[in-house]
Amino acid sequence: MRIHDLDGLHDIRRTGMMKLLPGKPRIGVGMGTCGMGNGAREVLQALGQALKDQNVDAQVTPVGCFGFCAAEPLVNIHIPGFPLVVLGRVTPDDAAAIVSSIARNRPPLEKAICKIEEWDHLTGHVMYGRGLAEVPEWNEIPFFKGQKKIVLRNCGLINPEDIEEYVAVGGYHAFYQATQKPNANEIIEEVKKSKLRGRGGAGYPTGVKWDLLRKAQSDQKYIICNADEGDPGAYMNRNEIESDPHMLIEGMLIGAFAMGATEGIVYLRAEYPLAVQRLKHAVAEAREFGLIGEHIFGTTFSFDIKLIEGAGAFVCGEETAMIESLEGRAGRPRPRPPFPAQKGLWGRPTNINNVETWCNIPVIIARGGSWFAEIGTTNSSGTKVFSLVGKINNTGLVELPLGTPLKNVIYDIGQGSPGGKHVKAVQSGGPSGGCIPAANFDVAIDYESLAQIGAIMGSGGMVVMDEENCMVDVARYFIEFTHSESCGKCVPCRAGLDQALRILKKITAGGAEESDIADLEELGQMIKEMSLCGLGQTAPNPVLTTLRYFRREYEEHLRAHRCRAGVCEKLYLSPCENSCPLHMRIPQFLELTRRGQLAEAAELIWLDNPLPGSTGRICQHPCESQCRRNTVDASVNMREVHRFISDQVFDGPLLAEIKARLKAHRMAPTGKKIAIVGAGPSGLAAAFYLTLLGHDVTIFEAREEAGGMLLYSLPQYRLPKKMLRQELDVIESLGVKFRFNQKLGAGVSLDVLEAENDAVFLATGTWKAMTAGITGEESPSVWHAIHFLEQVAREEPTNIGKKVVVIGGGNAAVDSARTALRLGCEVTIAYRRERHDMPAIPEEVIDAEAEGVKLMFLVSPQRVVTDKDSRVSGIELMRTKLGDFDLDGRRRPVSTGEMTIVPCDNIILAIGERPDAEPLRRCGIHVRENDTAAADWVTYETNRPRVFAGGDLVTGASNVSSTMATGKDAARAIDGILTGQNRFAELLQTFEVPQVVPEEPEGGARNVSRELTPEQRRTSFEEAMLGLTQAKAEAECSRCLRCDVHELATVKE
Amino acid sequence: MAKVITLKIAGTEFKTGEGKTILELARASKIFIPTLCNFKGLSNVGACRLCMVEVRGVPRLLPACATQVAEGMDVTVDSPRLAKYRKMILELLFAERNHVCAACVSNGHCELQALAQRLGVDHTRYPYRFPKYAFDASHAKFNYDANRCILCTRCMRACDEVEGARTWNVMGRGINSVMVTDLHQAWGRSPTCTSCSKCVHVCPTGALSEKGSAVGEMVPRENVIPYLTSMRYSGR
Amino acid sequence: MIAAEAKPLSQEIVDEIIARHPDKTGDVLSVLEEIQDRHPLKYLPEATYDDVAQKMGVSRSQVLSVITFYSFFNLKPQGRHTVTVCRGTACHTRGSKPLLDGLKAKAGFHEDDEEGGSATSFTTPDFGLTIRTVACFGQCALAPVAAIDHEIYGHVSDIKLRKLVAAIDGGKGS
Repeated sequence: MRIHDLDGLHDIRRTGMMKLLPGKPRIGVGMGTCGMGNGAREVLQALGQALKDQNVDAQVTPVGCFGFCAAEPLVNIHIPGFPLVVLGRVTPDDAAAIVSSIARNRPPLEKAICKIEEWDHLTGHVMYGRGLAEVPEWNEIPFFKGQKKIVLRNCGLINPEDIEEYVAVGGYHAFYQATQKPNANEIIEEVKKSKLRGRGGAGYPTGVKWDLLRKAQSDQKYIICNADEGDPGAYMNRNEIESDPHMLIEGMLIGAFAMGATEGIVYLRAEYPLAVQRLKHAVAEAREFGLIGEHIFGTTFSFDIKLIEGAGAFVCGEETAMIESLEGRAGRPRPRPPFPAQKGLWGRPTNINNVETWCNIPVIIARGGSWFAEIGTTNSSGTKVFSLVGKINNTGLVELPLGTPLKNVIYDIGQGSPGGKHVKAVQSGGPSGGCIPAANFDVAIDYESLAQIGAIMGSGGMVVMDEENCMVDVARYFIEFTHSESCGKCVPCRAGLDQALRILKKITAGGAEESDIADLEELGQMIKEMSLCGLGQTAPNPVLTTLRYFRREYEEHLRAHRCRAGVCEKLYLSPCENSCPLHMRIPQFLELTRRGQLAEAAELIWLDNPLPGSTGRICQHPCESQCRRNTVDASVNMREVHRFISDQVFDGPLLAEIKARLKAHRMAPTGKKIAIVGAGPSGLAAAFYLTLLGHDVTIFEAREEAGGMLLYSLPQYRLPKKMLRQELDVIESLGVKFRFNQKLGAGVSLDVLEAENDAVFLATGTWKAMTAGITGEESPSVWHAIHFLEQVAREEPTNIGKKVVVIGGGNAAVDSARTALRLGCEVTIAYRRERHDMPAIPEEVIDAEAEGVKLMFLVSPQRVVTDKDSRVSGIELMRTKLGDFDLDGRRRPVSTGEMTIVPCDNIILAIGERPDAEPLRRCGIHVRENDTAAADWVTYETNRPRVFAGGDLVTGASNVSSTMATGKDAARAIDGILTGQNRFAELLQTFEVPQVVPEEPEGGARNVSRELTPEQRRTSFEEAMLGLTQAKAEAECSRCLRCDVHELATVKE
Repeated sequence: MAKVITLKIAGTEFKTGEGKTILELARASKIFIPTLCNFKGLSNVGACRLCMVEVRGVPRLLPACATQVAEGMDVTVDSPRLAKYRKMILELLFAERNHVCAACVSNGHCELQALAQRLGVDHTRYPYRFPKYAFDASHAKFNYDANRCILCTRCMRACDEVEGARTWNVMGRGINSVMVTDLHQAWGRSPTCTSCSKCVHVCPTGALSEKGSAVGEMVPRENVIPYLTSMRYSGR
Repeated sequence: MIAAEAKPLSQEIVDEIIARHPDKTGDVLSVLEEIQDRHPLKYLPEATYDDVAQKMGVSRSQVLSVITFYSFFNLKPQGRHTVTVCRGTACHTRGSKPLLDGLKAKAGFHEDDEEGGSATSFTTPDFGLTIRTVACFGQCALAPVAAIDHEIYGHVSDIKLRKLVAAIDGGKGS
């Protein structure tokens, strides 16, 4: 079977082609490790059995991996006369149906994800067949669109354990061609022309490197394939070897011939047993066919390949460390010079290239260097295989021309993050690389562009992170990795990383000081510049890039002792608590309620949140999306339990007791006077806490009553005034004083407040409506949502007409719509994006729809249409469609050019509010570009000493709990500054609750609030939601999985 | 015919032959470049990174011990950046083990201490790690205190390259690296140690010392190595 | 039974392995890998070190240096079954740390990870089970990944892993 010449190669090519296109159906099962991890072996067996059972003649072949890991196990089926069909997520249960379809000579399409009519193997070509218009071509589906398979040219299509199939698609032909060149230098020239750069990470020009070895004088030269793919998160080399081992062997053969090496070594990770096995098999095959050994193709060229398994040391990916390891020592890098090309393995000239570099070589020789150089960019030619993993829908191996923008990979190919979560960053290049923030996703993926933003291409690992990944934890994770993989030879890496890790651990545990960040940054820079080898020189990159792009997260850990992603476990109680802006101790009030300790539960919720009745009704409940019960069935209905507790207090005999309990928390008078401007939720929260802390608090309010947006903007059917007034009464009962009709800059001046008080807290909110900038919006029939809602809240007549269009998608839009509906209007909401993009609470949207509000999506207002009497008669909307992804990961609406006019007599604009910045500016308070007050995000200090600002005034329009949280946090800071002590924590009395985790999830399905029917709701401002019954509330509490219990009570024998 | 190379180190112009490192030339010319791992007569390992220098036109710092002199080079051996990094490295070394000069046999004769004084290290910003390595007094003539080791591996190289006993090596990796004899048994029971004392005399700190030395009494005789290597080479 | 298994490999096996590696010094790693693999408790007994050093012509200190450098080598006997939790980046972002912590707690290991973080493998006193980590299996698309005796399981959750471990040895395992 030895191949001596081209004729011999052609003979094998013909036999191989008979296997690829056997003239009968061929079933290829993707048998990479990931396919097998998803059950490919069972699928292969089941298919074999089904063929036998149904007596169908077809060939079943294991093939490599086609790259679409998210759809494993992948099976491809070719019936002569049809295109090759790729099926995804095939299970053994599908086997019978697949085979019976084959028996009817019809490609099974039920699980088809794409088809291939013909395939360019680049060294060969296979025509499968045309047809099946209903199935998309492979590169038409999102995952493959934009991909270009050079390295992966054969993966998933040929049997990796059959050399004949590799030869059938043109394998070893390039090697034959190379051996026929009169001068081996021509090969090197071709590689130089291709501008191929090392795919291991550093990107050194391969041709130049080869030239060095070729020119080195020695009786013995070595070439080494670096297959020690140690970057966590990268697995392209594993797949390349598992799916197409012969392309690596051929690449090495060409290289050895060109450089004059007689021995090749593949240094392969022991963690990849299947790759080891397939490569061993392939080497044995190549030897059997005379492609490895003595006098190959009858020339004087002899070459052998040896396979060495690494033993678990990341640093051995560094070339001098790898040489040390191959010489039987610990893999500690050597200083360079001398370089391996001068003095490498056993002191002989040596060339080391990455797997993927070698795999490109046969194609470069077959198609020419200039062909290759035209792919990609001028300085980064060709393609690169990336492993797209982490928080991404379409995981898999992606081969792209270099220069492709990163956002295409994340949003088009990867289809964003699962569960619609916000993609936060991509870690590119493993522990040596950097974290690229979403704002930089328009970066082109090439060596230079990535380096410019502090990341590297590396081996091609791309780990996607979303909002639930903490970037400080990510930095800590990578430093933990490089720290444990550091060889220990040079001081910066060995001792420097140890100190860096110590600091990072301190930060993630919440115990760090601000100087630690500077120390960390300085250490990182030093380690980077001073270390001996690539490991140390790149190890600080994850720290330096996260510090550069996510510094705020570090500061949150340091200054606020918070980990917003909910990863650093010492910094939060439970996921729900962590996601709650007010950090309510949710599992604890659930447990107290479940145990019938209602007074304690009520005391707890009041201490955590002084407006429990309001927030229990209208809160955006971020807690629910974080609830771990979601992984079992549905989240715990925490907001409704919260409301239940507060309703029990207001509707029952407990109110007096709660007032008394809260009063008992009030600390001794401090003699400090504090003025709060604005009686909205933020000001009220600040007043509540500052009063309990013993200060003398007066709230100045521009309107005639307290409550702010809760009173003047929230419709009655969501938040009854009666309940709100009861809440306000509790706050007043603690000693907070109110002065109404006092507007900042009109009735009350900051200078006076400052002079008469020890501190001033400004929380004047966002009462200025934004305009849409369309013609006709100044008409009296065009409303702004907050004005409309306030007028209704004041029970003043509105004259809103009969047909109303509401522009917007937030809570104000939905509130306006449902209010207008109750006033007897026909209402349509027009929103510029899609339904799932609406910022409004989803349940509110559902309820609005049930009541009869119509929804329009992907429309953008253009002009108010008026009749001849200048009365509003409609609104002209432009229909849009979804275009490119923006850097937020949302598709940008773009014009379709189609206009539509919706007839109406009134229009409500609910497109946002801003603070009124003028009074602030006049007081000399620094104001940001968006008119919000500039205040520190932890202490809420403004530029004026002892003047603090919070609420929507600082954050911009937000929601009730977020805005209250700023008041709560500001109270903590104000008290700290006024008293010089940290007394706030003393306020938050702890309640004893049993620390027991339920063995199995309890409580059954999620309980929901009773509510009026849509018919009842449509015509009435009566409260729509009636809350949980006692029984349901208690059942709901028992559904909690008690994530707050950190110490697992395990039985120790 | 050896080519003559012209280059500048620390502002002074030199003419020299090929094949030397920057460190060798600087030493011969009495230009100070700090180092703790490099030792004349032993192979170069480039581990301590204290000898990093700036070469005009090269964005990266280069180790003087491994970088060969080249025509037209302009080498800066001291700069604010280098001084800062060198201090950090010394502080890291002090914090890494248990370096308390006042209680050390090598007090006054310690290269780490001398460098720290010369480079102005008067405290470490990093907390001491205080690993607790056992003090090995099993050898009849010498003591080994890993708590004072800086992992320069001079002992290992002297033992391997000069004495040929190959008794010393590094156990473990990363921050857990530690010099051990043979299979990590007590030094006194080493079947390979020839008690030649070379390791002791190349040790830059008080990690290896002669028995009977009290605080500040261990004075290494560094000249032992070049002498022996030249003897060995000339004997061939 | 454990005591018998904890003995070094028989001289013949060690000699046979070494004889198949004529390249001596360069093959130290391969020889050690094979010795460990052939040992029933998948580790390198101390008594082997000297033997390998002498027969492979390398110093004892070099053998020790090698086996303590590479994480693949076990210096202590391993359990009859091994659960390996992948700590690769993709697995980390998908929660492999809590997975590992839960598994360790369940098996009775309570070391504080903050300080004693250098240990990468934990074996129960009865040698029933070893829990270890791997830097990355390269199975990132299946993250988080765990392996039980070399069989890879993808998309592992706390509950799934607990069930898999309970099912080892038909439920007889630890």
